[in-house]
Amino acid sequence: MKPAALAALLAVALAGCASQSVSIRRVPSEHPAAENAAAAESAAAFAAAAALAAEGETDRSVREAKPAPPPITPADAPSMATYDPFERLNRFTYRFNARFDEAVFLPVSNVYRRIPSPIRSGVHNFFGNLSEVDSVINYSLQWRLKLGVRSLGRFVINSTLGLGGLFDVAAKFKLPGAPTGASTTLAKWGVHPGPYLVIPLLGPSTLRDGFGFLADYGTSYAIDIGQLYRGNVSWWLGGTNAVDQRANIDFRYYSTGSPFEYENVRFLYVRKRLIEDAGLRGK
Amino acid sequence: MLSAAAFANGAEPDAPPIAAPAVPPVAAPAAPAAPAAPAAPPVAPSDAPPVAAPAAPGPATGLAGSAGLRATVFGTPPQNMAPMPSRVPLLEINIAMPWARPVPDVFWFDRTLRVWLSAQHGPAPLAIVISGTGSDGNTSKLSILRGALYGAGYHVLTVPSPTFPGFIVSASSTGVAGDLMQDSRDLYAALQQIVVHLPRRIRITDIDVLGYSLGGANAAVVKSIDGTEGKLKIHRAVMIDPPVSLFASVGRLDKLFAVSIGSGDEAIEILYRKLYAELANLYRASDRVQIDESFLLGAAASALRTDEEFSAAIALAFRLDLVDMFFAGDLYARTGVVVDPNHPPKVSDSLEEAQRILRNKPFSEYFARVFAPYYLKQRPGSTSASLIADSRLDIIGDSLRDSPDYYAQANSDDLILDKRELTWLRDTLGSRIAVYDHGGHLGNIGERQQVSDMLDMLAGRWPGAAQ
Repeated sequence: MKPAALAALLAVALAGCASQSVSIRRVPSEHPAAENAAAAESAAAFAAAAALAAEGETDRSVREAKPAPPPITPADAPSMATYDPFERLNRFTYRFNARFDEAVFLPVSNVYRRIPSPIRSGVHNFFGNLSEVDSVINYSLQWRLKLGVRSLGRFVINSTLGLGGLFDVAAKFKLPGAPTGASTTLAKWGVHPGPYLVIPLLGPSTLRDGFGFLADYGTSYAIDIGQLYRGNVSWWLGGTNAVDQRANIDFRYYSTGSPFEYENVRFLYVRKRLIEDAGLRGK
Repeated sequence: MLSAAAFANGAEPDAPPIAAPAVPPVAAPAAPAAPAAPAAPPVAPSDAPPVAAPAAPGPATGLAGSAGLRATVFGTPPQNMAPMPSRVPLLEINIAMPWARPVPDVFWFDRTLRVWLSAQHGPAPLAIVISGTGSDGNTSKLSILRGALYGAGYHVLTVPSPTFPGFIVSASSTGVAGDLMQDSRDLYAALQQIVVHLPRRIRITDIDVLGYSLGGANAAVVKSIDGTEGKLKIHRAVMIDPPVSLFASVGRLDKLFAVSIGSGDEAIEILYRKLYAELANLYRASDRVQIDESFLLGAAASALRTDEEFSAAIALAFRLDLVDMFFAGDLYARTGVVVDPNHPPKVSDSLEEAQRILRNKPFSEYFARVFAPYYLKQRPGSTSASLIADSRLDIIGDSLRDSPDYYAQANSDDLILDKRELTWLRDTLGSRIAVYDHGGHLGNIGERQQVSDMLDMLAGRWPGAAQ
């Protein structure tokens, strides 16, 4: 049944480009009043933080006894061209992902977003809480024990007080989430990202991060909390997780209309990962 | 996009402009009063192919000073926003145009035109809002205008600019964007298709059209075309921060790129390396475990400090849009700048090299190598000077002057205008223009005053008391 379902999804994805003169679909509503209020609030918080930082700048620099690593200079920036030996395959996968997203992921996540937001954030928190286990393991492997303890604390608090992870109580105790994974561990160990890789259904990545993803999944599968990863519910759960993830990513394939979107996404994604790597070495 | 209000420093509306004062009145390339007819004396012998590119008169930053540049980048601070409705429903409409040509391989995803509609329950007037240069029909600026208009009781239809690649591929009759009249004709035809295909439950009592930046000029021209053809019966048009001369405005942005970034691949590489190092250091100093939107917001606020840096950000954003338009034009017009007309790229081919070449090219090169060659062939008897004149708002100058249904909002520190162009707008529209003393280019969209004036104009309540 599972392969059949997958085949059906693939067929829908590939048929997504079938021509039709007009198609109209409902997409999530906008909430400008609430968004403005939130933006005003965060702008105020941002200004306050900036003022505070400016005030405390001098004594913080005194406090920081730890020798700072040499600053990253413009000469350290990677070339503007990106190493992409799998380009033909990557482009094919990118196109497939775009069609799949348009035909399956996006419509489903648009429906999902009609569910009242408290329920959705419960779902989101639930999956976030499950991933804390992997974060604890990886923070330990990265020898960032403080963050590992934080993740562990979050997992314990949210699994109990947060009713199995449905509520992020820990964040209210000033323990905000900071997920990590095997790709960051590999980076911390000095593994270079390697070539750019577009992973089917998942999107932009690198060879290293692709292995990291497999390792994260393998870890969860091996631990199998509450038999959620190997039991009968695993397909439902995996699907819900994927839809929840998608609904929280504000990206639409080819909304730029640009013929260079593949190049642009590749450029930005790889630079983002390299900066995160460079930051990791300084921490 | 950015809303770091703290940096939009609204406290100094009279910041001394870094721009030089008025342009000497002599030897200006195209006087505001110049007739649109091709009788304008050509500067160079007309049909010798490397055509003279349009020159940008005046300073690169137009009328903008420091505050204008900052407002342009940061937009309206959230606390200055007009009241907005709590919920705006949204429909996405994808529509194929009957006249669309075969879609080039590399544009496979742009087969249909995508527009967005927010419909009221009962009968209501329809406000059609046109996006700015190179932009799609769902930008953050459009989202603000949609909220304001929907809240005031309009059905709101937001559409891309005719210079957006998705429009060029799915709805343009030429593939070569940039001609004000031709682009607006294509847009007018597309709008008719869209309006007849709207869901039947939507009852429209009246149609008005608006646009920001280049979309503002498109809106006015669309209304004037409708004035003779009468297919949509558009009532009023409101232009928000429109250019007066397309090519003078983009010429200014070319110049802005040259003075704030430089020219050639090297200049772009230097900017990129500088930005990369700056972001990497900021990220390392932060206690974040990954780069996210709030980090980037803070980074932008601390990376952008000087006028030059704000100028670079504005010029770069424009250049990135231009690259797409240039590529599409080159492909359709078969001009061979980066696309071999006989072997156009396939869907799996790398376009990195084409992009690298095009990002170094200013608009003047698009004009000289794609736009002018194409249109000079299409319009026998035209010259490059006449093409430039044809893309000035004064092609509809009489309508703007005489009809009570055209309105405009402009900022006296807009970087795409110079003094004479702003004066031309004022003289032409008389009391039907509101000029604000701040906002730069589009940096006050959504502000209380801007929104309430816009709604007054659309509803015919505008008192016409602007000085």
